[in-house]
Amino acid sequence: MNFELVGHLIRLRYKLLWARTRSRNGRIALFIVGYLIFVLVLVLLGAGGLGAALVAVESGKALLVARIVLASLFLEMMLATVIMGFGLNAMFSDAELRRYPVGAIDRRVTRHLVALIDPFWFLGFALEAGLVLGLYLLGAGFLGVGLIAVVLLFVTNYLAARVFGVLVDRMMQQKIGSLLLMAAIFLVALGAGQVPLLLKRDPAAAAQAVRFLRFTPPFGAAAAITRSGFEAASGVVVVLCWLVALAAALVALERRPAQRQKLPTTAISFDSFYDRVGARFGGEDGPLVAHWLRFYTRNTRFRTLGLLSLPILGFLAYTMGRPHGPFGKLHGPFDSLFVAALGVFPLVGFLAPARFTVNQFGYVGGGFRRYFLLPTDAAAALRTGNYASILTGASMIVLAAIAWTVLAPGPWDGRMLFMLMASGIAGLFLFHGLGLWTSILGPRRGNYNQALGNDASVAGNVVLIGGAFGCVLAPHFLARFAPAWVSPDRWWIAAIPVALTLLFYVFSLRAASALFRQRHEQLMAVVEGRG
Amino acid sequence: MDAFRISNLVKKYGSVVAVDDLSLAVPSGSMFGFLGPNGSGKSTTIGCLTGLLDPTAGAIEILGQPFDTNSIGLKRRMGVMPETLGLFEPLYAHEFLAFVGRMFGLDEATTRTRVSELLQALELTDSSKTLAEYSTGMRKRVAFAAAVIHSPEILFLDEPFESIDPAGVALMKQWLRRFTAQGRTVFITSHVLETVERLCDAVAIITRPGKLVWQGDISVLARDGAIAFDGQEFRALEPLFLHLTGQRYADLNWL
Repeated sequence: MNFELVGHLIRLRYKLLWARTRSRNGRIALFIVGYLIFVLVLVLLGAGGLGAALVAVESGKALLVARIVLASLFLEMMLATVIMGFGLNAMFSDAELRRYPVGAIDRRVTRHLVALIDPFWFLGFALEAGLVLGLYLLGAGFLGVGLIAVVLLFVTNYLAARVFGVLVDRMMQQKIGSLLLMAAIFLVALGAGQVPLLLKRDPAAAAQAVRFLRFTPPFGAAAAITRSGFEAASGVVVVLCWLVALAAALVALERRPAQRQKLPTTAISFDSFYDRVGARFGGEDGPLVAHWLRFYTRNTRFRTLGLLSLPILGFLAYTMGRPHGPFGKLHGPFDSLFVAALGVFPLVGFLAPARFTVNQFGYVGGGFRRYFLLPTDAAAALRTGNYASILTGASMIVLAAIAWTVLAPGPWDGRMLFMLMASGIAGLFLFHGLGLWTSILGPRRGNYNQALGNDASVAGNVVLIGGAFGCVLAPHFLARFAPAWVSPDRWWIAAIPVALTLLFYVFSLRAASALFRQRHEQLMAVVEGRG
Repeated sequence: MDAFRISNLVKKYGSVVAVDDLSLAVPSGSMFGFLGPNGSGKSTTIGCLTGLLDPTAGAIEILGQPFDTNSIGLKRRMGVMPETLGLFEPLYAHEFLAFVGRMFGLDEATTRTRVSELLQALELTDSSKTLAEYSTGMRKRVAFAAAVIHSPEILFLDEPFESIDPAGVALMKQWLRRFTAQGRTVFITSHVLETVERLCDAVAIITRPGKLVWQGDISVLARDGAIAFDGQEFRALEPLFLHLTGQRYADLNWL
């Protein structure tokens, strides 16, 4: 191992991060992120870790609480890494590192160290370390072995996230990968729903499950923190075994290059579905709409999310729409599933193209210049990209409406369907209106082929995450505090949000087009990686 | 008649001056070379001339009409091969060229014919690869095809021959010569001075930051003549270029 070179390369990653702060916006972003991370570390270490330790001691169930905290954290970190891309986005690729005189092992170690030394992972470590410290201070844990266990757990957690991420990525590159992923999500979702029922029927199963779970990394670490002697040592050994196994699995996976789908040689065809759809928009905008439709639908993540969005959102509506669920009390006389579906329909049309809609030019790279060389109003590129996204979203709303008609329990009610469609259309206009602004004011250069991770800008994430939470929760609170808005008896009220969001959309389309013409040079610098 | 005329063009990025008071007239039907060292403002000038960038000051007149970023009619008469090629990588070559053809107002039948002919001529017939999977040279050929598909009156080519194999370059040169023989104009930037010397009738040389230092006819060089400047005679473009832009020597004794 050439530790000196590896050290240089890790420092390079932070130098590159620091280089971003040369601009005013970069410095502000660094300040906010740095401050947030500092505060979060303190909160997690103090309130999270020490708090959990206090609960553990007071309840007299230190081992149980440690197991629950560590296992939840382990799963959260894994999912957040795969879905949001924390840590992974920071990695250098192997090809990038091949420029330097470092061997294969050094390159692998460098890549993973760079990803591991990511602020996001420190947050998880802060909570784990806080738990160890808290249990030690309250006399229910062992500091030395505990710290060793959580450090090993921290590395194991990262390796598990990487292995899982690589597996999902490989799966998505296959022709039937999206379908397999959908089936897997269904199985996990349905399985999770069955666990409480199973435990209710057979309480002995819980004890059996715990015996099995003892051999998982979080449970091993929990034993190492709260137990002494052989139990603690065996806990450390469990985590260590997982660490070695996952590291070996990751190396094996990375040594086997991904098998990309090889497209067959086909005859050149000019008359495609996209061109026919685009032609409906007239001679000026038609080719651009067809171009954007092609650009979106050829993307792996778009296609995967397109396939997954209805089942995922259907499951979300089912979970949030249980009469005896956490929101059931708010629904009063209304059909709980319907109220939940009202919140989910706005997302149906937005989930698949969301990444492109909030950052429309972030994935076109050097192609961005082309829009200004074409003999058309440059803002047509902005508008048509948005139209194409609306088209794909609208087709998803139609599918969702069909799914509701076929699958929803109870008698068919046209008023409900109208309200759901209106909710979906209002969401479509709202999100696409907001997407126009974030595409211009908060662009970020992204990788078109990146299947996993979150590469939206801060503004894009505010719209995506904030909008999703807002939409999903709003109908539940409306049912409680403004019931007229979710009542099928006043179904026509649903037209009001459609009208308002349409106005907002039309306004955004005009105003953002003007702004786009003004800011196109700054946008060009960002999407080409110069700003 | 001039194909285009630039008057007192200035382009600033914040406080950085990229092009400083550049004035230039390019005659119709000429093959015009636009030369300068790295960072001298060649691409920025082409950006302003093609509607990619908004000039900070100055005026541009193309084919006798004032030009700005919204001159849609004039853009239809221009072909551009930008520095970064401006390709949409997930598309196939034929899809990209058909898109450009339709945007430039070609009807469907003409677009199909021209795309097929261009792909055939430029040896881009592998329809199983997207533009992202093409080699640099092939991507350059696609960008060139996109610049000429609508048979423009003025062609702006930013480093057109870099990365293209000799057969491809020979074909492109042949097309460009025919292009100017028909009275149309080609404006080329290149660092390969031998190519410019053999291909162009006239050149303009700029230095940082976008300042014109020389403009003139170079066809005399092809007839074994010489260009007189600053009391010296230059028999090739390279010594003239180095004289104008400043020859640099750095003796690194470890190299």
